[in-house]
Amino acid sequence: MEKKTGLIFFPAFDWAISPTHPEREERLLYTRDQIFEEGVMDLPQIREYAPRLASLHDIARVHFCVPRVQSQVTEAHLIAAGSALQLGDAVVSGEIKNGFAMVRPPGHHAMRTVHGNRGFCNINNEAVLVDYLRRRHGLKRIAIIDSDVHHGDGTQDIFYHDPDVLFISFHQDGRTIFPGTGFSHELGGPQAYGTTLNVPMPPGIGDETLEYIVDNLIVPVIKDFNPDFIINSAGQDNHYSDPLGSMRFTARGYADFTRKLNPDMAVLEGGYAIETALPYLNLAIILALARLDYSYVLEPDYWPGRFTENAERASKVHRTVDYLRDVWEKRNSADIDNIFGKGNFYQRKKFIYYDTDYIEEEQIEKVKKCSNCTGYLLVESRGERGYRAPVRIFAVTVPFSACEACQQEAYDAYHQAKKKEQYDYVYMQDKSLDTCLNYERDKNHEWSTEG
Amino acid sequence: MFIGIDVGGTFTDAVLLDRGCVRASAKVQTKEDLLSSLLEALDKAMKGVSGDLVERVVLSTTMITNLIVEKKYDPVGLILIPGPGLSHQHYQFNTGTYIIPGAMDYRGREIIPLRRQEMENAIMDLADDGYKNVAVVGKFSSRNNRHEKEVAARLRWNYPDCQVEMGHQVAGQLNFPRRVVSTMLTCATREKYEYFVDSVITALSKRGIDAPVFILKADGGTLPLPCSTRVPIETIFSGPAASTLGVQALTPPGETSVVVDIGGTTTDLALILSGSPLLASKGAAIDDYLTHVRALAVKSVPVGGDSIVERVGKEIIIYSERLGPPYCQGGPMPTPTDALRVLGLTRLGDEDRAREAMDSLGAPLGMSPGEAANKVCNLVIDTISAEIQLMFTQWEQEPAYRVWEVLEKRKERPSTVVGVGGGAAGFISQIAATLGAYPVIPPYAPVANAIGAAVALPTLEVTLRVDTEQGYYSIEEEGFQEALDDANFTEQQALDLASKWLGKRADKYGLNQRIEDVEIIRREVFNMVRNWVTTGKIYDIHVQTPRGILGHIGAGGEIK
Ligand SMILES: [Zn+2]
Ligand SMILES: [Zn+2]
Repeated sequence: MEKKTGLIFFPAFDWAISPTHPEREERLLYTRDQIFEEGVMDLPQIREYAPRLASLHDIARVHFCVPRVQSQVTEAHLIAAGSALQLGDAVVSGEIKNGFAMVRPPGHHAMRTVHGNRGFCNINNEAVLVDYLRRRHGLKRIAIIDSDVHHGDGTQDIFYHDPDVLFISFHQDGRTIFPGTGFSHELGGPQAYGTTLNVPMPPGIGDETLEYIVDNLIVPVIKDFNPDFIINSAGQDNHYSDPLGSMRFTARGYADFTRKLNPDMAVLEGGYAIETALPYLNLAIILALARLDYSYVLEPDYWPGRFTENAERASKVHRTVDYLRDVWEKRNSADIDNIFGKGNFYQRKKFIYYDTDYIEEEQIEKVKKCSNCTGYLLVESRGERGYRAPVRIFAVTVPFSACEACQQEAYDAYHQAKKKEQYDYVYMQDKSLDTCLNYERDKNHEWSTEG
Repeated sequence: MFIGIDVGGTFTDAVLLDRGCVRASAKVQTKEDLLSSLLEALDKAMKGVSGDLVERVVLSTTMITNLIVEKKYDPVGLILIPGPGLSHQHYQFNTGTYIIPGAMDYRGREIIPLRRQEMENAIMDLADDGYKNVAVVGKFSSRNNRHEKEVAARLRWNYPDCQVEMGHQVAGQLNFPRRVVSTMLTCATREKYEYFVDSVITALSKRGIDAPVFILKADGGTLPLPCSTRVPIETIFSGPAASTLGVQALTPPGETSVVVDIGGTTTDLALILSGSPLLASKGAAIDDYLTHVRALAVKSVPVGGDSIVERVGKEIIIYSERLGPPYCQGGPMPTPTDALRVLGLTRLGDEDRAREAMDSLGAPLGMSPGEAANKVCNLVIDTISAEIQLMFTQWEQEPAYRVWEVLEKRKERPSTVVGVGGGAAGFISQIAATLGAYPVIPPYAPVANAIGAAVALPTLEVTLRVDTEQGYYSIEEEGFQEALDDANFTEQQALDLASKWLGKRADKYGLNQRIEDVEIIRREVFNMVRNWVTTGKIYDIHVQTPRGILGHIGAGGEIK
């Protein structure tokens, strides 16, 4: 018998950002009604799993939470991330063929450094999953395809310098929607040029153009990249009825996309048309993953031919796709020094606004340009929360594949920073040894977690 | 005095309880005519006691289970209104099925109107095909039953003799395919069940018993027998429920135990967690059909005392079949019972034949009869122990949809393994040893089923769902839906409404039980926000009368 599709449904019926926030208890209520009424969990093609909690170390392996993990996550966050890990284990062990973590709260706007909640996210569920799969199961190359209407800026940030993680996001043009990023020129850092690909879409784009993106960019690029694992960051706010987005995808379009992408796992992200879209979309995606007929899934107010594509906007997307395809094909021969400048480090300055928590963050990120490994990363960040004194941190990441020299330099940088008065917290995230350190100046104390 | 009667497939057991003690018990062979076996057992247990001293009678019976498994019921035609969602290919129930257009959504709003002409055609076709029983089931009918009612009314108008059953009245929980099956089986078994109920009541009154009579449900609760005709399928699997309650009554309160009922070819397992029997998270499955029937979590393992044992190459294998009695009792093949006989753990049958059976298994492998018997016993013990472990793991891994549920997940292991049933004596202590628990074979184990029936209490529950924006509320268990014109309806009002309905249900079932201590199983409030404005609330409230048993046997004075 063919293997089953694993599901974890964790609607967090007792967790909300605030009573009237889009990210509230009600969000998956109608999805629950629909999939339970359909008897989805009883289908022989489906296996339901219980959620579990991610460990604090699973989070620390990915994020620099200020001041520490416990202050940025609630139990709901640990369960959402843990659900992804639970299914990840089941897929890798071969127990199931693929999985869908239908969980709240979402995560794809959570960046490497976490001063608070951004875009309804604190913890990046997909990123936690990726580093867990690499650490726990030894996977190397992973592709993340983000189908949310908002740019997956958090996921992009975390893997921007990581050539082993392919990140492709299609979303509504950042000039017209939060978080205002995700342009086609954001292609990854000098160590990972071309493994970040963004398709910004003008408002009003529908299924037909999505199909073009899938057939001409996503599927061929993934084929080239040849990942060990494919994750769909399954945001559903590209739907035509979504109150936050302005796109025109349908449940059918999402299901076709899922069938063609054939991800190992989907993790639910945004989607706030909780009545008109989510019940139908989630059902269609489940059926597509289980390779069941989804042609009977129809939004009540949809009829074939309801939307016609605006030719001019569609061709704009086609041009972006052509451009990115070209970048992808020539990525290995690109003149990196010319693009990023010469020198041992590549440095970029970032300004990050936390829309939910009203925090302003200024960040300088430096990546070591190393020809023996993917290079370590230094982050200096200052988070300002209005009335409170700003919090300054310094953080170091040693990648899984770090060479000995880089590892040495990274630890030197960490110890140096501990001596500097200006940093309230200093972090070391050594993925190669799976050890995370967190130094707190006030208490002159260092915590460590290990996997 | 209380009477409990368990009408099982092989035996009918009866007990007479008097102030917390078993005053008399009886075990008779179950005959084709259920009623005569029932009366025989009753007469034996009642010897010398006059019928007017009996305060209460509780029955458990496999009748409905057997009807369904043996397909001894009239065919049922289906009219389904599934609308969009899963492919209609999924709705193949092996009987005349007509799918008609129409649909409600999850909040009970009509999204596709019922199409008259196709409804008429379906009704006519079913009648032409000779169906006298029809089940009408729509997706989301528990949120809005209008379509079901319309079809049923039309059916009754055209064919007044047709027995029509509607989905929303049989089960209110979400899960359309399970609702279809539950409705179909209810429709199929009602007539025979009504006949059974009538004859039981007649028979009891002939014996001078006019005390209230109850029937045990799969979830371990009881219903007054006359009221149970609305829900015959609730009585499926009342046998395992009876033995679980029996064990609960025969062991100290608060314990975590596994009930192991080793029969001829199957072993039934059930869990009692901290003193309460574990309910299955989903409805019971019967004959490969998934239903909405709430049931105790019971697992049937296909191995028992009469299972046949064979040597295949260098392996000894137990099969799930029975080919007659054990070899030591004149059967054709070696069985675990023969192994027990050789090891001196039972006195059934002929010892020499048992040794012969074990020798035939063991000799080609160079084993003595004793060694072969050990091997066979260990196979049985390992199989059952592994299933017990798995049951605990599955319970731990049941899905959770709320943060507190995930955090509350317990890890529990049994402190006692309680054996009931024929094969218990031989295996229980070793199964317990494997699990690191104490073995217990309670007194009266052979009639634990009947004791369980005797101590079972009525249970009632009510699931209230209020949608203030749509302005209606529904009671799942009653298939009841009504308008509610109060935009400011509060959580307290919702709780009061649920309790009121619990009281109503108690009256309806003739239970003079006091509904003061209402247990709240679930209370959830969802704010509905549309365009950043709160437009209403959804209350989801589940209340029940406390679950439990009359008292513990031998505890003295607890059972009045
Ligand atoms: Zn989004
Ligand atoms: Zn290096």
